[in-house]
Amino acid sequence: MLYPLVLIALAAAPFALVARFAGRDRIAWGLALIPLAIFGLTLAQAGSVWEGGQVVERIAWVPALGLDLSFTLDGLSLLFALIITGIGTLIVGYAGHYLATDNGLGRFLAYMMLFMGAMLGLVLAGNVLTMFVFWELTSVTSYLLIGYKHDYADARRGALHSLLVTAGGGLALLVGLLLLGQAAGSYELSDILAAGDVLRAHALYPAAVVLILLGCFTKSAQIPFHFWLPGAMQAPTPASAFLHSATMVKAGVYLMARLSPALGGTALWDVTLAVVGGATMTFAAIVAMRQFDLKAMLAYTTISMLGALTMQIGLGGKYGAEGVATNILAHALYKSALFMLAGVIDHECGTRDLRRLGGLRAYMPRTMVITALALLSFGGIPVMFGFVAKELMLEAALETELGAMLSTLAVAAIAVTAGAYLITGWRLFSNTFLGQRSVAAMQQHITDPTPGMLIGPGVPAVLSLIIPLAFLGPISSLIGPASAAIYGKPLEVKLALWHGVNTALLVSLGAIAAGAVLARFGEQLANLRGWPAWMRGDMIFDRLIERTLTGATTLTRTIQEGRLRRYILLTALALLVFVGVPFVGFGISSIRFDLDPQLQFYEILAAALIPVGVIATINARTRLGAIIAVSVVGAMVALLFVLFSAPDLSLTQLLIEVLSTVFLLLVFSVLPVRFENFSAAWVRRRDAIIATAMGFLMGGLVLATATNDAFAPLAPFFLENSLEKGKGANVVNVILVDFRGFDTLGEITVLFIALLGIYGLLRLRQGKDNVAPERVTTTEPAAEPVDTKR
Amino acid sequence: MIILLAIAIGALFGGATYLVLRRSVVKLILGLILLSHGVNLLIFTMGDGVRRGAPPLIDASGQPPAGVADPLVQALILTAIVISFGFTAFVLALAYRSNQAAGSDDLDDLSTTDRL
Repeated sequence: MLYPLVLIALAAAPFALVARFAGRDRIAWGLALIPLAIFGLTLAQAGSVWEGGQVVERIAWVPALGLDLSFTLDGLSLLFALIITGIGTLIVGYAGHYLATDNGLGRFLAYMMLFMGAMLGLVLAGNVLTMFVFWELTSVTSYLLIGYKHDYADARRGALHSLLVTAGGGLALLVGLLLLGQAAGSYELSDILAAGDVLRAHALYPAAVVLILLGCFTKSAQIPFHFWLPGAMQAPTPASAFLHSATMVKAGVYLMARLSPALGGTALWDVTLAVVGGATMTFAAIVAMRQFDLKAMLAYTTISMLGALTMQIGLGGKYGAEGVATNILAHALYKSALFMLAGVIDHECGTRDLRRLGGLRAYMPRTMVITALALLSFGGIPVMFGFVAKELMLEAALETELGAMLSTLAVAAIAVTAGAYLITGWRLFSNTFLGQRSVAAMQQHITDPTPGMLIGPGVPAVLSLIIPLAFLGPISSLIGPASAAIYGKPLEVKLALWHGVNTALLVSLGAIAAGAVLARFGEQLANLRGWPAWMRGDMIFDRLIERTLTGATTLTRTIQEGRLRRYILLTALALLVFVGVPFVGFGISSIRFDLDPQLQFYEILAAALIPVGVIATINARTRLGAIIAVSVVGAMVALLFVLFSAPDLSLTQLLIEVLSTVFLLLVFSVLPVRFENFSAAWVRRRDAIIATAMGFLMGGLVLATATNDAFAPLAPFFLENSLEKGKGANVVNVILVDFRGFDTLGEITVLFIALLGIYGLLRLRQGKDNVAPERVTTTEPAAEPVDTKR
Repeated sequence: MIILLAIAIGALFGGATYLVLRRSVVKLILGLILLSHGVNLLIFTMGDGVRRGAPPLIDASGQPPAGVADPLVQALILTAIVISFGFTAFVLALAYRSNQAAGSDDLDDLSTTDRL
């Protein structure tokens, strides 16, 4: 029972709209029962996963394409599904309090449910294409969540950045997944995971890896795509807490972890992940340390932790796999708590600027205790769950098979990051709860929020303490299968608080000590000059978008500059390039000159009069000359039809030619008697060259194709069936009225519409307000005969 | 004889291209007329060969004739001739009308609506 889990969340979205009504906090907790129910249903299926199996379901989706909607629940999916629904439950309830005064709460919770459904689909998908659909759905729904406060320009900008970056990465991912499926011969995850050796030796492997990683790095905000994540902090805090602790940004990590048994083990995969992840982790930790906005601080620590997870997947090995699984859970717990607490502080004090907060310990004691717990876990202080996770990360760095240099670098990076986390945590705590009560805080009556609002952050914060003390056994049985799925082989996991005195513990303690010492100088570090604004990723990205738009506008202005002849010129040039160049290259050799012995002189005469008529039309200085010249051409075309076995065409052509000439005479009578040259001489020369090239190209194409019998003609069918089925001896006529009767109907319709148009155009003349009066008077005498003759 | 048609088609397309690139409305229309002749002849060469004195008619014996011209392309061209006439007539009416409204034969005087 897997796809119902996804369906429940998606189907619940419309019901969330009831949260528009009053009593929003209670309604929200009621709605929180939906994710809680999914949590329970997922947990009910955990037994079969823990026994070493998988739950697999498959629905035929597009059978003709061999595309199935398949779902799989294994250790890794289970861990993610429980985190998504567990944290989701708390966040939905919390949002009811946070947005209690906002009429849009219903809309917000509907987005949340949709997002949750997409995320569940992503982690439960058993087929990479199914997964991709949900992957894109998370991009779209997170766009709605981030842009929820769409009245604010910053919210719109943040939402757009996240959408462009993650959906752009999604495109790369799609191509990567298709290559992967081609190489593996199947799009089912189980087949792909089983085909690891084939994949790594396949020619498509490097391209597939690069494209998939591009998708994962953009989604999980790795350098250099990290900038969208702080911008996404424009979302209401409950959305930030959900997107950035447990879900959206972990999607990239999930996919890398999921595919690492199949794609990992090569230098390309392992070293890229370790280096990019390590760099992101360290860089973002240092940036986080220097922030003044609570949420920005948390955003950068989130980027840092995503880097840490990516790095551990790259470092690989038993500890790498365990470290990834454990850190995902530990981070989800403390980070969701911290985000929700930032929301509480923002909600109560009206600001989340560290410079304007302070001294809240006397007013918000409960909030302070919960924050302290979450921060201790975040800082990796012993006995907290974050400490257990950090030890595994250090073990992964120490035990990696990527060589001594990368191992040392990774350990150093983790130590620096751990120190920076401590400083960040201390700054967050001391600036908020300790010290003098700030001026901003004094203007309001500040208290702890209602208990309902503290449940959200309280549960995960307390779990961060209780799990390592009492529940490491049960949690190990959750982490174990998840680690095994990342590792690709069965794995015995026993999490422990105390591993004895080892290198990891010493490094960890050293980092804590250094961090504790440096934390005293936290504010000085924060106030050091940063790099200039133009180097910031979001600015660069903004300019990139701006340039793209300017470029597109310039291009459009060049192509669509308002003059018909420019369009025709570009079309002709495009034809000459795209048809002419290949034709000269490949087609010209297939032209055969067979001199026809039966060639008659009157045939030559008729054909030769056509170029003569064309040139006369071009050179005509008077309208009458032009009409005569163009009529000669039409008459010669009719003659050619007669000579080459098409009497019906000839008759029609002659009839039409007469009519056209009459029309031309009528209409040209209002036009100037003599033609003038509007264009400059050089333009005319240029056009003449293009026109000549065009003429030679078309003539050449005729010679090349007419002597080519690559396609069987349709003619025999009509010749055989004309008399029998169409009851007519003139095959052309039978085709027109019988075999292709609908064509003729269409033709009649076109003529009728043209007639209506002509009628309308000529009648319009009488609507005096449509036409500038002085123009009417000047053309009136000349126009008169047209009307009378019609 | 295909060479004759190739020369005629080349001349029609070349001349039409030159004329539709002009600024004058009149020349544009003349170009369109030449272009439709060119296209009709082009379709004419696309069928089952071009033949002399063998129209696609079934004689009194009722047997499908062999070696006659391709009837399908002729049917297509017949439709095309009529439609291009309708089109030419409409464009002529439009030119008449625009000349009345703008008082000019120069396309550059009519280009304001399409400018970005």
